[in-house]
Amino acid sequence: MASSLSQPAGRITISEKAVATIAAQAALRSYGIVGMVSRTLAGGIVQALAKDPRHGVEVSQQGGELQIDLYVVIEYGTRVTSVSSSVARTVRYQVERSLGMPIGDVNVHVQDLHISFTE
Amino acid sequence: MTTLSAQVDPETRERLADAFRRIDGPMLRALAEAGLTWLRTNQQIVNSLNVFPVPDGDTGTNMTLTMQAALEEVADSSESSVGRMAKAIAHGALMGARGNSGVILSQLWRGLARGLDDLATMDAPALAHALDAARETAYKGVVQPVEGTILTVAKDLARAALQVSSSPAATNLDVLEAAVQAADESVERTPQLLPVLREAGVVDSGGKGLFFILEGMLRTVYGLALSEPILEVKPISQLQLEQTVEAIEPGQDWEVIIDFQPKVELDIPAFYHQLGEMGTSIQVGEGDGLYRMHIHVPDKTEFQPVEYVRTLGTISNVRIENLMLQLPGGAPASGKPPLRLAIPSPEQIAVVVVSPGEGLSRVFGSLGAAAVIDGGQTMNPSTQQIVEAVEQAPCEKVIVLPNNKNIVLSARQAIELTKKKLAVVPSHTGPQGIAAMLALDPDGDLDTVAAAMASSMQAVRTVELTVATRTAKVDGVSVSTGQTIGLLDDTLIAAGDNLGAVLQETFEKAGAGQAELATLYYGEAIAPAEVDRLADQLKSRWPGLQVEIHEGGQPHYPIIASVE
Repeated sequence: MASSLSQPAGRITISEKAVATIAAQAALRSYGIVGMVSRTLAGGIVQALAKDPRHGVEVSQQGGELQIDLYVVIEYGTRVTSVSSSVARTVRYQVERSLGMPIGDVNVHVQDLHISFTE
Repeated sequence: MTTLSAQVDPETRERLADAFRRIDGPMLRALAEAGLTWLRTNQQIVNSLNVFPVPDGDTGTNMTLTMQAALEEVADSSESSVGRMAKAIAHGALMGARGNSGVILSQLWRGLARGLDDLATMDAPALAHALDAARETAYKGVVQPVEGTILTVAKDLARAALQVSSSPAATNLDVLEAAVQAADESVERTPQLLPVLREAGVVDSGGKGLFFILEGMLRTVYGLALSEPILEVKPISQLQLEQTVEAIEPGQDWEVIIDFQPKVELDIPAFYHQLGEMGTSIQVGEGDGLYRMHIHVPDKTEFQPVEYVRTLGTISNVRIENLMLQLPGGAPASGKPPLRLAIPSPEQIAVVVVSPGEGLSRVFGSLGAAAVIDGGQTMNPSTQQIVEAVEQAPCEKVIVLPNNKNIVLSARQAIELTKKKLAVVPSHTGPQGIAAMLALDPDGDLDTVAAAMASSMQAVRTVELTVATRTAKVDGVSVSTGQTIGLLDDTLIAAGDNLGAVLQETFEKAGAGQAELATLYYGEAIAPAEVDRLADQLKSRWPGLQVEIHEGGQPHYPIIASVE
């Protein structure tokens, strides 16, 4: 279970899967991100898009905090550092807002660049 | 928009349309410069529109810095082709893209350049086609485009441009006017498309920024001023004060927020002007006769806004916050950008560098150094200082870059004195250290990474200029006290009374003719204008050499440079 909050009437638990779905959807709306790949497919293909709503996101517990790892494909010709920090901030914001609690690290792993245009 | 074209009579407009019938490279650059100037003038308006869930810091600032980087790229360009000028601007925008909006802006330039291909000049259909290519490229950069953002504005203006250009008589001016009007209207519609904007009661900031860039281009064609901002006072409830500290710029050391009731009606343009003299990130809100102002000011001037506002009316509330405390590097010197250091995780490799100057420290920080020890030619840090820095690093694996021949030994001694795994990459100069940093892989094996860094270090030659402290003959060169001497990789090879001549002679020996890039780090005692002049001399002597200038801040050495 990813996280649990104590409530007067009991506990609420939120699964890693739920968190991953929120994170993946936020990432795909973030500018410069053109795909997500699972870690094992690193260097691979952008095709699995949209089929699995959590593709390319890993959520884990690190020292009592939620850690999110994003495996992304970035549009070639954009500044990778700017795109990466934007996606990390967007995902953190959306997840924290949805969960109503702070999370730990959001790590961005740039697995590939996608070339839309050859110049 | 209608007010803008109304300021030009039909006859003048005809003449202007004719003058801009074909746009070449220098004209495009002039238009882009006007776009930047107008954006910069209205930067605070764009910043004030920023709303979270578009977590982008200060959009106006980011877009301005991106445009600035784009134009620095072409500042000295003599390119006449509009297509190749656009390519160069796009390249600069890419390298300097800041924040989300900056990345999208760089993509728009990239698309524009792609649309123009290598055209020598552009007419109305070419301009419209290029604006459409900009739209297409920008949309390719995201899987699920969010409408009601800068993307929508780019789409709407491209559509308007294409429509106008389909008439055979259309001119560039017709296309630009249509694009500006469409952008204006599109920006106003963004809250209808994006609920978060509607909730916050604002229009999209990135879209507004794009509008200002285009409107600046049109204003310059019309010959209208680009320096007077369009001023806005919003309801207090709409001030976005929480996000203003997202990205702290140089000189934004203190945040000051003041609530006050003016004695007489506030002269808004004068008020903005006065605040603009004091700081940045200015926002003003009003409600029931009460005004709230927000500003970021440099260190030691944090009470200036309070004193100023006191002359205007009754202050009811003041909040002054030290933004420097929010930075990991602690308090930076006034007016200087903060030193940002990397924070490696425990299993990674931390790099400890010895740096002779503040500017060089910042360069090292930006390249991933985790700690900086002050030291250099005349101020060698002790082995103990190095050991302490190593012990304090949050990692078990540490690499030390001494960046000075005389410090290598102290650094090596530190290996015996710490329990941590320590490697010394024996850099003799700052530029060698910087070259070594480029090969840093914090996740790698310590010895492998150290070896890679040491080999990367060999790729640069270091030129250092300093002043002879005694008369002597060294390495076959005679020098007298007070003369400038030039060192190449620690070897004295030139001396003379003229800084520029010694620099050139040393560069010559460093193989500047075959080199591609020279980076000058200037010292604390030399004026930036002087450095610009030296750089220009180098550029005119070796036209193939790209010359970059950074503040090094080191004492004793007016110039430390890398040649690669």
